[in-house]
Amino acid sequence: MSYKVLVVDDEAPARDLFNDLLQKENCTVSCVATGEEALDIIQKEDFDVVLLDIKLPGISGLEALKKIKDLKPNIIVIMITGFGYDEALIAKSKEYGCSGYIGKNMTITQIMTSFRFFTKTAQEKRKNSPKKSIHDYTD
Amino acid sequence: MTPFTQETEKLFYRLIDNANVLVLYFDVDGRVCICNKRIGQISAKKREELIGENWFNLLFHGQGQAMKQQMFKALMDDSITYKRPNNFEGLILDKDNNERLISWSITPILTESKNLEGILLIGNDITELREREASLKKIDETLKNIFASIKEYALFVINLEGNITYYGMGSEMLFGWQKQEIIFKHISALFTEEDAKTKLPLLLEQVKQSGKYETEIELVKKDSSSFPVILSASQFLDTEGKLTGYIFITKDITERKKLEYQIFQAEKLAAIGQLAAGMAHEINNPLFVISGRLEMLLEQERISEKLKEDLGIINTQADRIRKLVDRLLKFSRQTTPKFEAININDSIEGVLPLLSYYKLPDAKIEMIKDFAKDLPPIKGDLNQLQEVFINLFLNAHQAMPQGGKLTVKTSNLQNQYAEVRISDTGCGIALQNLKNIFMPFFSTKKGGTGLGLSICYNIIKNHNGSIDIESQVNKGTTFIIKLPCA
Repeated sequence: MSYKVLVVDDEAPARDLFNDLLQKENCTVSCVATGEEALDIIQKEDFDVVLLDIKLPGISGLEALKKIKDLKPNIIVIMITGFGYDEALIAKSKEYGCSGYIGKNMTITQIMTSFRFFTKTAQEKRKNSPKKSIHDYTD
Repeated sequence: MTPFTQETEKLFYRLIDNANVLVLYFDVDGRVCICNKRIGQISAKKREELIGENWFNLLFHGQGQAMKQQMFKALMDDSITYKRPNNFEGLILDKDNNERLISWSITPILTESKNLEGILLIGNDITELREREASLKKIDETLKNIFASIKEYALFVINLEGNITYYGMGSEMLFGWQKQEIIFKHISALFTEEDAKTKLPLLLEQVKQSGKYETEIELVKKDSSSFPVILSASQFLDTEGKLTGYIFITKDITERKKLEYQIFQAEKLAAIGQLAAGMAHEINNPLFVISGRLEMLLEQERISEKLKEDLGIINTQADRIRKLVDRLLKFSRQTTPKFEAININDSIEGVLPLLSYYKLPDAKIEMIKDFAKDLPPIKGDLNQLQEVFINLFLNAHQAMPQGGKLTVKTSNLQNQYAEVRISDTGCGIALQNLKNIFMPFFSTKKGGTGLGLSICYNIIKNHNGSIDIESQVNKGTTFIIKLPCA
């Protein structure tokens, strides 16, 4: 499956790593460093998936998630977190419509498996019930 | 005997009427022959009315007739037999119908042939004196009661030589010494050996110089155990203002110290937790890139076996860091437990099969379960509590590489708390390590991260419970967890 993916992470080495990993998956990848830049590019281009770091300078990852979903309800957003599994943050992200989360403490294999799983389930859900609201794609 | 002239009779009455005492003379039949004006003033009857009356009607107020007769007889018999002065106290009724207490001095008057002629009574009104005495006694008793009721403080006094001259108010309870055991002993008996040599002389000097001194210090009980107190010392001056000794008031602050230590410990752990979370996040970012790049390199087919091996080593070590960071995050995470009603016995049973997944020392360990049947449910997060139990079971196993007994006992503490005691018969923990046992990164185990128990501590604390440890080297260790009931 090839997706058009936007990576939002303020750390350049992390962005580059995601870029390389996703290209290996045959994805078309764009990278930005902040939530503001992400909102900007999303208005101009269409993406299938956004990988969004929770901790960002400027507007936070959560805020960015909310705005992205307001702008493009159909985009699949996967949160990236350096904190490991944080229940409160994950719960909030789900409420705002993210499809899953990837921890920077996971191995690459785990990260890519998660990425494939979240995108696939989100897409299948969308296919099966195209008229439902975005919140139905979020669990 | 010269008969009374009119003049002498007048003088006699003038004398007895002016005396500030009650004067009464009656014959052997108890009839009043002479009495002075004071009696008339005090009693409800005038002098003229009293003459010829039975004296005991006057003196024994409040007694029945039979009793009066009996008392009179006793008095007469006593006077006849011993023929010597005697004393007694009795109530009379005054003009205003109030009882007055009179102290009577009784003198038998004898004829020349030594027969009893009559009895002379001289009386003092001691009503007010007795009232004052009674109220003083009452004040004294109240003070005694107040002192006896004070349990947290001890008051004792030493003389200038340092010997205990007063040992009161809570001292017996606080120190365990009975008064007779410690009185006149030197005050150093209440101090630690070290403090008695160094701090005590300094303290006394301070009081001597500045009048008073207050400090926190450890004192010693009869059983040699020491305990923290606030000690306040001041000069003991006599009425002329001369220094005669020192007064000590001490308050046992064991409980306060314990609480302060707990708060300190909790704050320290919270601060470390915050630091750990921040650090973990900062480490995770570069570590993610390192591991990611390594994994990508390892997937390449062109690289040599040697390089692959080296990269594998780097990867393993990076993995170690990642696991450590994960533990750090777990420790620091202040997630509110998801409370539900939990049966502790069941939750312990639930983790026992999981133990086989861990690499445990190959030793024969006998598991003894002693579960309270009446254990009330507690409010808790099952996952978190099971993590605590697993941690403690693993610790117990690791403490017994030669094998031993692992006992898990649950008890119902008055339906208020459920208590879990997990005991091993292993190597135990040295005293100096015990106080740090719940600190993160503190480990006595080879290769331990020192995070397990600090995570347990946080979890139990978030459950409003307590976790304590008792340990003796080479005897074993017991962890005691108390959790509030649902």
